[in-house]
Amino acid sequence: MIAGLPLAFAQPMVLLGLLSLPVLWWLLRLIPPRPRRVDFPPTRMLFDIAPKEETPSRTPWWLTLLRLLLAALVIFAAAGPQWNPSIATAGSATPLALLIDDGWTAASTWDARLRAAEDIIVQAENDNRGVALIPLSETTRDISIAPAGTARVRLRQLKPKPHAPQRADALPMIERFATAGTDLETIWLSDGIDLGQGKEFVAGLSHILGQRKLSVIEGGLSPAHALAAAENAAAVMTVKVLRAETGSGESGALRALDLKGLSLGEARYTFKAGDLETDAEFQMPVEIRNDITRVEIAAQRSSGAVQLLDKRWRRRAIGVIASTTGDTAQTPLLASTYYLSRALNPFADVRQPESASAGEAIAQFVEQKLPMMILADVGNVTGEAREKLTTWIDDGGVLVRFAGPRLAASDDDLVPVRLRRGGRILGGSLSWEQPQKLSAFSREGPFNGMAVPTDVTVTRQVLAEPDAELSEHTWATLADGTPLVTAARRGKGVVVLFHVTADTRWSDLPLSGAFVDMLKRIVSLSGNAAAADNEVGDKQATRDVVPPNRVLDGFGAFVPPPPTARPIPVNFSDPPDAEHPPGFYGTPEALVAINTLRPADRLAKLDFSPLNARRDQYRIGEPQDLRGPILLTALGLLLLDALLVFWLAGGIARLTLRRKPAAAAIAIALLAGTLGAPSRAYAQNDDFAKKASTQTHLAYVITGDAEVDRISRIGLESLTLFMAQRTSLEAGEPMGLEIGRDELAFFPLIYWPIVPAAAKPTPQAMARLDAYMKQGGTVLFDTRDALETLPGPDGGSSGPGAMTLRNILSSLDIPELEPVASDHVLTKTFFLLRDFPGRYTTGKLWVEALPAADEDQGERPARAGDGVSSIIITSNDFAGAWALRPDGQPMLPLTPGDPRQREFAFRAGVNIVMYTLTGNYKADQVHVPQLLERLGQ
Amino acid sequence: MALDPRLSEQEVATVNRATAHGRTLASAMPRLILEARRIAATVIHGLHGRRRAGSGENFWQYRRFVSGEPAHRVDWRRSARDDHLYVREREWEAAHTVWLWPDRSPSMNFVSHLANDTKLERVMVVAFALAEILVEGGERVGIPGLIRPTASRNIIDKIAQAVLHDAGMRTSLPPSFAPSPLAEVVMLSDLWSPIGDVRASIAQLSANGAHGHVVQTVDPAEETFPYSGRIEFVEPEGAGTITAGRAETWRIDYGKRIERHRAEIRAETDRLGWSFAVHRTDRPASELLLALHARMGDGGANRWSRARSA
Repeated sequence: MIAGLPLAFAQPMVLLGLLSLPVLWWLLRLIPPRPRRVDFPPTRMLFDIAPKEETPSRTPWWLTLLRLLLAALVIFAAAGPQWNPSIATAGSATPLALLIDDGWTAASTWDARLRAAEDIIVQAENDNRGVALIPLSETTRDISIAPAGTARVRLRQLKPKPHAPQRADALPMIERFATAGTDLETIWLSDGIDLGQGKEFVAGLSHILGQRKLSVIEGGLSPAHALAAAENAAAVMTVKVLRAETGSGESGALRALDLKGLSLGEARYTFKAGDLETDAEFQMPVEIRNDITRVEIAAQRSSGAVQLLDKRWRRRAIGVIASTTGDTAQTPLLASTYYLSRALNPFADVRQPESASAGEAIAQFVEQKLPMMILADVGNVTGEAREKLTTWIDDGGVLVRFAGPRLAASDDDLVPVRLRRGGRILGGSLSWEQPQKLSAFSREGPFNGMAVPTDVTVTRQVLAEPDAELSEHTWATLADGTPLVTAARRGKGVVVLFHVTADTRWSDLPLSGAFVDMLKRIVSLSGNAAAADNEVGDKQATRDVVPPNRVLDGFGAFVPPPPTARPIPVNFSDPPDAEHPPGFYGTPEALVAINTLRPADRLAKLDFSPLNARRDQYRIGEPQDLRGPILLTALGLLLLDALLVFWLAGGIARLTLRRKPAAAAIAIALLAGTLGAPSRAYAQNDDFAKKASTQTHLAYVITGDAEVDRISRIGLESLTLFMAQRTSLEAGEPMGLEIGRDELAFFPLIYWPIVPAAAKPTPQAMARLDAYMKQGGTVLFDTRDALETLPGPDGGSSGPGAMTLRNILSSLDIPELEPVASDHVLTKTFFLLRDFPGRYTTGKLWVEALPAADEDQGERPARAGDGVSSIIITSNDFAGAWALRPDGQPMLPLTPGDPRQREFAFRAGVNIVMYTLTGNYKADQVHVPQLLERLGQ
Repeated sequence: MALDPRLSEQEVATVNRATAHGRTLASAMPRLILEARRIAATVIHGLHGRRRAGSGENFWQYRRFVSGEPAHRVDWRRSARDDHLYVREREWEAAHTVWLWPDRSPSMNFVSHLANDTKLERVMVVAFALAEILVEGGERVGIPGLIRPTASRNIIDKIAQAVLHDAGMRTSLPPSFAPSPLAEVVMLSDLWSPIGDVRASIAQLSANGAHGHVVQTVDPAEETFPYSGRIEFVEPEGAGTITAGRAETWRIDYGKRIERHRAEIRAETDRLGWSFAVHRTDRPASELLLALHARMGDGGANRWSRARSA
């Protein structure tokens, strides 16, 4: 445990490693980060460069610091640091005696104490030591050293006691135990609060243990607060909050509960630094205050933090004895008792005498140990009653008397001042004097500080004999200086005299609010005499014992009385002990509250200084192994260090230099990795594109019908050969195309034989075809159905191929078509043709419609649009006519079989190819004669 | 520099590769006809005129004796075999001798991440190709210290074998030898030796009046100095090391320094009428070859020196 910090090390010796840090510092300073070695032929050039900056042959100081910190952290972690370490024990083999304070003072932090004790027991278990558990409240128990496991079980059974055990009582027990065993390590789990006999215990313990090891665990937990001396004062319920240590300022909340445990109100208390006690006040109407049976500190669970209130706190019973006259019975609402009970009821219990006789009533009230009696215009009290009354007053009773005709007429000495016989009438018809107003309250009296009421007029009073002591006894005076209220102490009691009646005959006072306040203050006087009150009835009280009703446990909760609890005398005033636990005693109607702390009790701090003990503190949290976080921090620093070294070595600059190629490489790797199959496809496409673009190729669409595709390929091969023989176009071998997959843009002409009832290509394929045609490509559709079409002008569109073609083209944007006119440039692009036969001759060749022939140019031999027709449709089965076997023999017969038909079919093919390759060039060429003519040659 | 086994292995691999590359490169080159400007007295235009009889050492042909010739020209041994008199003609010895000097020192084994080929491979490729082209064109090619000038058809193989079996030191500069005045010298080296050594070497080679071309073959890294951070630069030939704390700050100074170095070399070559060029290995070898081809072919020395970075 490091001083002040709840930090401990499992291997403190490892911390000596910190001594190596200076050496490490020196080494680190000396050895710079290793530079990157680079073979560099022009190094000799570098020799000549004066370095711009001094090459840091030493590590920068902050890097060194970082590394030192890293090293220090690692050493620190290796030492096994623990936050909130368990309470250390000596670790020797001697048995362990565990003294445990188990009074209520320990209750509020009982869990932490138990945990501490358990930690210690666990350590003892690990060290294989016996443990003797000594709760200081159980003085009668025989102590024995038990295995740690047993001790732990016993520990769990411990509960704090609701009373404050007298530790000194345990001394003999400890002594017996200590003298029996030879060696012993003692740990005192103390609460640090002295409730008497603390010194004796400490001295005795010191004596018993002698030089044996003793540890005192104390502090570190929230200090125990306690309640004492709850008082239902005039306007507020006050309760004292106590603490043992004058530490810093503390505050907390009190809660007031009624008998059923319902919360009635809260109050706050605040300890200033240095205060040992403070007052808390419940500002509540007295009716509610009277219902309070329990006041507790909200945040503390201990019996000391509870004040139980019984009826003694609730009301002050006041006996009111009025002169028994007939008019009281006749006009009860005008009687003085009525005024008095109305004034007293809010805060006191008014008791009316059962007998009419004043003497008997007094005797009865004295019997009932009322703290205060009011005699309203009672004349002389005589005889036995008088003796009882004076004794009662001397013992602390408060006697309040009101004047009246009888008092004025009697000769009584139970008054504070000597009175003149008879009264004084002010403002009457025989008097010049005006009714007097109340003018002042004396400073010495209880009325001091009250506002002087202006509505009180006194018309009649009894007068005191003026003497030197009159003013001392006067509590309130009239405007003319005559006393209105006088009082005198008698013994422990007080005699108070109102010089007016308690009804309205002599003055307005009973009607005034001041009357209530004055009575209240007087009543509050009577409370001070309560203790004395008890002694009065001592003899009688000891006879009455009341059984425990419900008692507090150590945590301040009500529990059924334990079997050990014994009845208490009604006037029980000793500190509660094991046999008399604090709580409520007696019947539910007349509960007697026994509080843990008596009103005069104060908490004191236990002085451990006579003990030659090691001091330690309780731990609030669980012990935390700090190795993880520290090593993690070290790891973070290591990472930081690596980054810094990386930065120092120029890694970042290198990264930025290389980013682009690296990114490209990554992208390529990703592409290659994730798109393995597509990349093969690309490779295929590349081969295809290379092949298609290095030479001009004729192309045909692979229909899926093997025979048709074969004829297409062979036909185009033959055409290619034919063109190589007859024209300058030496095309490559024809290529088959998958419309949906292969790139079409390489081919000037695509031959598409229509297989009847072929499925329509996918929309994507059609989109590609559309794009191809829009971008200048030409598709030669061959429906190959000229034989099957019906004759007639519309017959061309009735063949099965034509139907299929129509289906295929339905989604394309097809321009207006027309049969090739005789002056169309197609007829002149290479050969001069009249028609375009294939295997059949009946089909027509359809191309995009040309603009209508201009009449001015009617003589022109050829017409052509601006572009090449993107679509050419035939039904004559060109490929079938072109197809030749390798030996040059035709593959398919022709219809009708004219020998020159095949030749013309080839010529038609040549013309079409030339047309797609040269566009309308030929249309211009055929105009050359005209052009030359125009030029005049 | 003693031959260390690692380097020698590298060299073998490099030479093997370069053999093939050089051949390919040479095959793509037009026939090189050395300009005949410096061949005094016998300037013959047109095709390479030297495959003919003339004054020389090597046998060329026998021809009939023509009356009026000095009698000592008659080759009696040949003439004895039949009735005619023959004169033994020798090949015209006006052929150029071109001394190629590919630097094979350890520093040439350097290749940075910016280039694909080591400098050694590049100079070997260029040397091979040049040799092939020159021999094709009828010149004789030699490598100082390795093979004497020869017009052998399989010059590449010869050079390669000579290089492979060369047990000698790989020096950074050509060994001291005296090329004939009419010879041409092609130095393919990185020329990072101290300027004094370079000067001395060039001066020595040109002492007899030989003409020459100096090509500084550098790796792009040597040109751009793409280093940053803390780096220890090691001279591969053992000249020492230097550590730069933050190499990126050296870049500008380094650039200035090599500019100065080159300016000094150029001053020397200009003075001697040699040419000087810088070649980066990230450029194609054919570029250098073409430049050399052009330079050797038409002799525009000034133009050459202007086209500095071939």
